[in-house]
Amino acid sequence: MSWEEFWVILVGCSLTILACRVLPMFLLKDRELPQWAMQALGLIPAAAFAALVANDLLEPGMFDEGAWPAAIPLLVACIVVIVARKTRSLLWSAVTGVAVYALLALIC
Amino acid sequence: MMPSRSYIAQAFHAAVPVMLGYVAIGIPCGILCDSIGLNALQALIMSLLFYSGAGQFMIPNMFLAGAPTASIIASVSFVNTRQMLYSAYFAPYAAHTSKGLSFLFAATVTDESYGVSVAQFEAGDWSLDRALMVNLFSQSSWALSNAVGVLVGSAIGIPLNIAAFAMTSIFICLLVTQKLTSANVIAAGAAMIGVVVCKMIGLSGPAILIGAVFGVVVAMGYAAVRKSAERRRV
Repeated sequence: MSWEEFWVILVGCSLTILACRVLPMFLLKDRELPQWAMQALGLIPAAAFAALVANDLLEPGMFDEGAWPAAIPLLVACIVVIVARKTRSLLWSAVTGVAVYALLALIC
Repeated sequence: MMPSRSYIAQAFHAAVPVMLGYVAIGIPCGILCDSIGLNALQALIMSLLFYSGAGQFMIPNMFLAGAPTASIIASVSFVNTRQMLYSAYFAPYAAHTSKGLSFLFAATVTDESYGVSVAQFEAGDWSLDRALMVNLFSQSSWALSNAVGVLVGSAIGIPLNIAAFAMTSIFICLLVTQKLTSANVIAAGAAMIGVVVCKMIGLSGPAILIGAVFGVVVAMGYAAVRKSAERRRV
């Protein structure tokens, strides 16, 4: 990639992401929001984390070539759920996820 | 005003899981950038100005696939629209905070640092200045790891799907430590269905945004129905 292409792509992508990151906060900040809007904002974390998890784990047709090894990430995810509920620790969850995944990939 | 030492320590402690996760995926991202001829300086500039994990993986991948510049910008921007939700979420916490601090904070939120800040704000005793420090610690880790990835090039082989599972695990932990209210469960379930449906109809770019908005809308509908049912009973 040339420096020109680099700058065009970088500036283009940076401007759109900056707008998405900053504008909603500044439009809503310092404003009395109605109760339904506060309720909707409160539902964002559960919906967003679920969407991020689904985006990482689920792919249409992921089992087309058999249930195994496609099920490995799902199995690891179940173990991470247990560790996360027990420890409530991001660090332990991440370490468990990577370690169990590496172990299963090694032995399967 | 300089933040107090204890604030810096608290922010660092909260940021550590994200920082380590960013080392795990930042190095492979740098390796990918090296493969399209970007140097360490360019990887640093990109991590400082753009700062988007998903985006910085997409750009080299699309470039390698021969996509034109305009279509790279459009696709990456589309994927990053999910940031709007995070920005809106933080609006009440940024009330009565200076424009400069709010701007710096909002401009450096990622999926992961958003998650950490949500957990801290909902646990109480958290503030936007500490949340900003979490963002900056995370960004430093991401930027340095990308530069290191470019420098080591493909000398080390990290299987990306395994390294990326650090992030997936962080999202799983954030999801299952949410309050187990019926509205939250419905929002999460609907969001997952929404993401899969989006992917099935070929909308994988904005799948996270559409899925999450769908989840919020369905849960709002559920709450409204339950409220009117309660009113009828009374």
